[in-house]
Amino acid sequence: MISQFFVLSQRGDHIVFRDYRGEVPKGSAEIFFRKVKFWNDDEAEEAPPVFNVDGVNYIHVKVAGLFFVVTTMVNVSPSLLLELLQRIARVTKDYLGVLNEDSLRKNFILVYELLDEVIDFGYPQTTSTEVLKSYIFNEPIMVDAGRLPPLGPAAMFMQGTKRMPGTAVTKSVVATEPGGKKREEIFVDIIERISVTFSSSGYILTSEIDGTIQMKSYLTGNPEIRLALNEDLSIGRTASSSYDYRSSSGGGAVILDDCNFHESVHLDSFDIDRTLHLIPPDGEFAVMNYRITQEFKPPFRVTALIEEAGPSRAEVLLKIRADFSANVTANTIVVQMPVPSYTMRASFELEAGAVGQTTDFKEGSRRIEWNLKKIVGGSEHTLRAKLTFSQESHGNLTKEAGPVNMNFTIPMYNTSKLQVRYLQIAKKSKTYNPYRWVRYVTQANSYVARL
Amino acid sequence: MSGHDSKYFSTTKKGEIPELKEELNSQYKDKRKDAVKKVIAAMTVGKDVSSLFTDVVNCMQTENLELKKLVYLYLINYAKSQPDLAILAVNTFVKDSQDPNPLIRALAVRTMGCIRVDKITEYLCDPLQRCLKDDDPYVRKTAAICVAKLYDINAELVEDRGFLEALKDLISDNNPMVVANAVAALAEIQDSSTRPIFEITSHTLSKLLTALNECTEWGQVFILDSLSRYKAADAREAENIVERVTPRLQHANCAVVLSAVKIILLQMELITSTDVVRNLCKKMAPPLVTLLSAEPEIQYVALRNINLIVQKRPTILAHEIKVFFCKYNDPIYVKMEKLEIMIKLASDRNIDQVLLEFKEYATEVDVDFVRKAVRAIGRCAIKLERAAERCISVLLELIKIKVNYVVQEAIIVIKDIFRRYPNTYESIIATLCESLDTLDEPEAKASMIWIIGEYAERIDNADELLESFLETFPEEPALVQLQLLTATGKLFLEKPTEGPQQMIQAVLNNATVETDNPDLRDRAYIYWRLLSTDPEAAKDVVLAEKPVISDDSNQLDSSLLDDLLANISTLSSVYHKPPEAFVSRVKTAPRADDEEFADTAETGYSESPSQGVDGASPSSSAGTSSNVPVKQPAAPAAPAPMPDLLGDLMGMDNSIVPVDEPTAPSGPPLPVLLPSTTGQGLQISAQLVRRDGQIFYDISFDNGTQTVLDGFMIQFNKNTFGLAAGGALQVSPLQPGTSARTLLPMVAFQNLSPGAPSSLLQVAVKNNQQPVWYFNDKIPMHAFFGEDGKMERTSFLEAWKSLPDDNEFSKEFPSSVVSSIDATVEHLAASNVFFIAKRKNSNKDVLYMSAKIPRGIPFLIELTAAVGVPGVKCAVKTPNKEMVALFFEAMESLLK
Repeated sequence: MISQFFVLSQRGDHIVFRDYRGEVPKGSAEIFFRKVKFWNDDEAEEAPPVFNVDGVNYIHVKVAGLFFVVTTMVNVSPSLLLELLQRIARVTKDYLGVLNEDSLRKNFILVYELLDEVIDFGYPQTTSTEVLKSYIFNEPIMVDAGRLPPLGPAAMFMQGTKRMPGTAVTKSVVATEPGGKKREEIFVDIIERISVTFSSSGYILTSEIDGTIQMKSYLTGNPEIRLALNEDLSIGRTASSSYDYRSSSGGGAVILDDCNFHESVHLDSFDIDRTLHLIPPDGEFAVMNYRITQEFKPPFRVTALIEEAGPSRAEVLLKIRADFSANVTANTIVVQMPVPSYTMRASFELEAGAVGQTTDFKEGSRRIEWNLKKIVGGSEHTLRAKLTFSQESHGNLTKEAGPVNMNFTIPMYNTSKLQVRYLQIAKKSKTYNPYRWVRYVTQANSYVARL
Repeated sequence: MSGHDSKYFSTTKKGEIPELKEELNSQYKDKRKDAVKKVIAAMTVGKDVSSLFTDVVNCMQTENLELKKLVYLYLINYAKSQPDLAILAVNTFVKDSQDPNPLIRALAVRTMGCIRVDKITEYLCDPLQRCLKDDDPYVRKTAAICVAKLYDINAELVEDRGFLEALKDLISDNNPMVVANAVAALAEIQDSSTRPIFEITSHTLSKLLTALNECTEWGQVFILDSLSRYKAADAREAENIVERVTPRLQHANCAVVLSAVKIILLQMELITSTDVVRNLCKKMAPPLVTLLSAEPEIQYVALRNINLIVQKRPTILAHEIKVFFCKYNDPIYVKMEKLEIMIKLASDRNIDQVLLEFKEYATEVDVDFVRKAVRAIGRCAIKLERAAERCISVLLELIKIKVNYVVQEAIIVIKDIFRRYPNTYESIIATLCESLDTLDEPEAKASMIWIIGEYAERIDNADELLESFLETFPEEPALVQLQLLTATGKLFLEKPTEGPQQMIQAVLNNATVETDNPDLRDRAYIYWRLLSTDPEAAKDVVLAEKPVISDDSNQLDSSLLDDLLANISTLSSVYHKPPEAFVSRVKTAPRADDEEFADTAETGYSESPSQGVDGASPSSSAGTSSNVPVKQPAAPAAPAPMPDLLGDLMGMDNSIVPVDEPTAPSGPPLPVLLPSTTGQGLQISAQLVRRDGQIFYDISFDNGTQTVLDGFMIQFNKNTFGLAAGGALQVSPLQPGTSARTLLPMVAFQNLSPGAPSSLLQVAVKNNQQPVWYFNDKIPMHAFFGEDGKMERTSFLEAWKSLPDDNEFSKEFPSSVVSSIDATVEHLAASNVFFIAKRKNSNKDVLYMSAKIPRGIPFLIELTAAVGVPGVKCAVKTPNKEMVALFFEAMESLLK
């Protein structure tokens, strides 16, 4: 099983190091760091998450800019170790509020205490913040979260919109608030990451939604919760529709390809009325993950053109149209397009009256970048760029440039139409009325338009 | 508590240690706690605070759990270096293990188990016994793991004190956490022993399946992984297991899903109903695809596993090829794996879609990815005959972009396409030739030259094209030189005119006179001789028809694939290597558990399970640890080809190869392979041997020269079994007139030589003073006979029947004599040829035996002999006919 667990900073400093079995030779953390840093002697290459050096197996994930690593000498399940590393990061964050080098160092004794309960002799025991609470005695020391971006998908609620209580997501699950009394509240976030590939003619080649219903509960006494989803939700594409599901959709019903649930969820009535029952444990966790390949309307239409304009010049036209309602606003939009490797200069021409837009030509990675602070639903934006080449092009510009890739976040928008119809909390008394936050967000995962 | 822990890292003006000492002995609790925290802080940044041992231990007797835990943390770290002082803590530990607070009881056992000091271990047994039967499940689950810890320190103690039985009892515990930990502990103990300790019966099976539904996600993985070792009795039971495991596919934890997939795949082998199998495949597809929505790290593991699964059962994901299309933001290691799976799933139906993707990838930024995409197009062409033309037109399109590395990669794959479909697509050669000048990578150059040579008669200006390469002939890498030589040869044979003749003259001259590459020189001489003596024969050789190739470049052979599929969801399935290839832990010796044979076996092996004491310093030599298992040799009656077991065990502490022991001067003399007359005074004797499940090259050097020889290195040529050195050759400088003998660990299946199996092992040895010595050795196949080669009587019969008759071979060993049945059986068992049954046939005895070589290839053996009379008939049945000749060689040498 697990021989060692350690956390390294980006510079390779030990932040946490725990040896459970004493069987791995000394210096493993250094060996690991060197291997990852200089994988294949090429910075473009990235070390795979699982590799073996001199008989020692190293398994790692990167969370919040830190390396979480375990070593083992035996043939164990690497997915178990990878899941465990993610979970350790999450539990630590539940305790510390923020996860970064600073908070780990300030709380190292608490972290060691946690690690002793989470792993015994290399075997994972429990990673439930709820269960751990009864065995952990150290109190977390909070670090100033103000300047530090929080971890995880919930981080996106911090930007732009003012509707969210800003500190909630960086609040420790166990620490008592400075004011003394804990605020009763629960967060349910429906987070959808969408992947769309447009062909050069604008036709949708692939589209997919990876969704998560994430919960973070600060309720005392762990009351039971009922979470109701769309009544007409159905699961599993039928075999016949696996290829022509596009034509069969449109009825409005949400069809999930597949989904899975957190172990605290009872599915007794799920088949009947699409309601999930659970007693949420403390800490952040995914109630349900789902995957959809049913056709959906992409929030943005992207068109890109590149044309020769003289012997060693070309012109690029990028156009994006927001296909969602005007009361929704997308933010932090980045549009990137690789350009031919012999591009020397790029000059940009923004549309008239453009606000909050910037452009850049990244010479090193030879691509142009277009940043937009926000895009209101229904609007359309264009960018023109003039490229100057160091040589004549081969007349194959569309092959040497692109594809266009887009990144964005759209709060209070969900692509799949999967809804939380209601969130019911079993009442302890008449006056008990905790805050409930149900939040939707759509994020680009891989949003690509080919040339 | 106030302030920040990080303040403990700050140093003080006074000496740090004395100040801490003072604080640790303070009368105030809080001050003591703060002091311990400072000590721990110092410890974690690597400062030596072991001198405070007594003072810290004094803080141990406290009701404050927070402080107690800190002290325990300190103890685990330093008890090893202060074993005499550690004993001070024993009393508190024993007292704590009876504390009314279950947390303290559990903490005490957990910590004692982590302190690998003999004196503490002695005192651990009684508390552990109590805690295994504690009322509180938290204590029991901690105790269960503690048994595994104790087994690692002192296996004998665990068996003597009956902890194994107690652990087995915990499988029936009513708390699923306890069950899960008991299963994990038993599985680990089983892994380090070859004796059956943890066998799942149908009774435990149902208990485990019940616990599965209730325990934590981690526990579910432990249980599922243990269940994967269970062999269902029949199809019905298999279906039953699958039905209970299938709901796990809905779990949010990917490890649970993959472990469940493993069990379902294994049990599916037994299920006969095609409907059930089809249905299961359908159920597995969505969860497997969902794994690709997880973090990229998990996706990578999932993809490596899916790669294996689609090789075995391509139907599962046949319709899901789209999910393997690369995303823009996938890390490169994910993209590479996706490409591999796309090629595997490509079919006539989806090839257009797939080619469109590949074409897109081939214009991306990442060079390695682009190359792989181009290669993927070529592999699809080779795989799908009907799509070959479309693939080629995509490749031509890519060549036209004139990105240098794309062109070169395309030419390499087009050469393969030409080999696969000879005389079909030559029309594109003209286009390829346009890029001739831009080729600068050896493989691309060599491929282009091959194409020109192969189609020399149809390319009008083939001589000009080749000539352009010839100018730089001496500077080219060997790969290109060899191709140039052959291509010029082909050209000359096709067009025996003046120009080509001059070219071949020049090349032959260059290749024979000015090169020091033996391969090139040899080939040139052969051509030269052929061309000058018999041009017709030269034609037959050089222009011979070549066998058609297929795309098996990334296909695993079926026995390895089965081996890996049984290891789904383990590191082995990620590396695509069998576990033996990277796990070095050694199991305890096998015990013959055959009843007929029990008497002799019992005296053959002593009771003590072998496990080194010291896990922390695996390379320490065996002589220093007190608990090194002493195993009696199997007392071979006949002189065995193996040196005695005792001698080599001493070098095998905790399974690690004795790199720090240069000499192992034991055993009978080795066969001389390099006589001192050939070796300018150096004599080398060597032999392959198998010890404790590992193959070693037992090699000895005699320095008969007048100088000190040092810097010995060894290398093995490609061979049938892919044997290669598993480490560096450890030979200390050799004084004149002395000799050294060492055991070089070997690894198998590294660099396989193609062609018919052969026992030839070519070895090269060099040192700093002499030229390189080459010599040949024979690979005795019995070195590969595995400890797991024993078969049950029933499975032997079944296997015998299931193999067709033309897989049976027999051979007479006229000079072999069986002087006593028992001695022969025992002698063969020592080489992992296991006795199964015997019968009498008139005056002759017939023995049935089994052996197995890696990758699960069994040999079913029948020996017929009359006791005391020379002549043994050996018959064998095996699925792998090619190995039979080697097998007979091995048996004959074993029976000498």
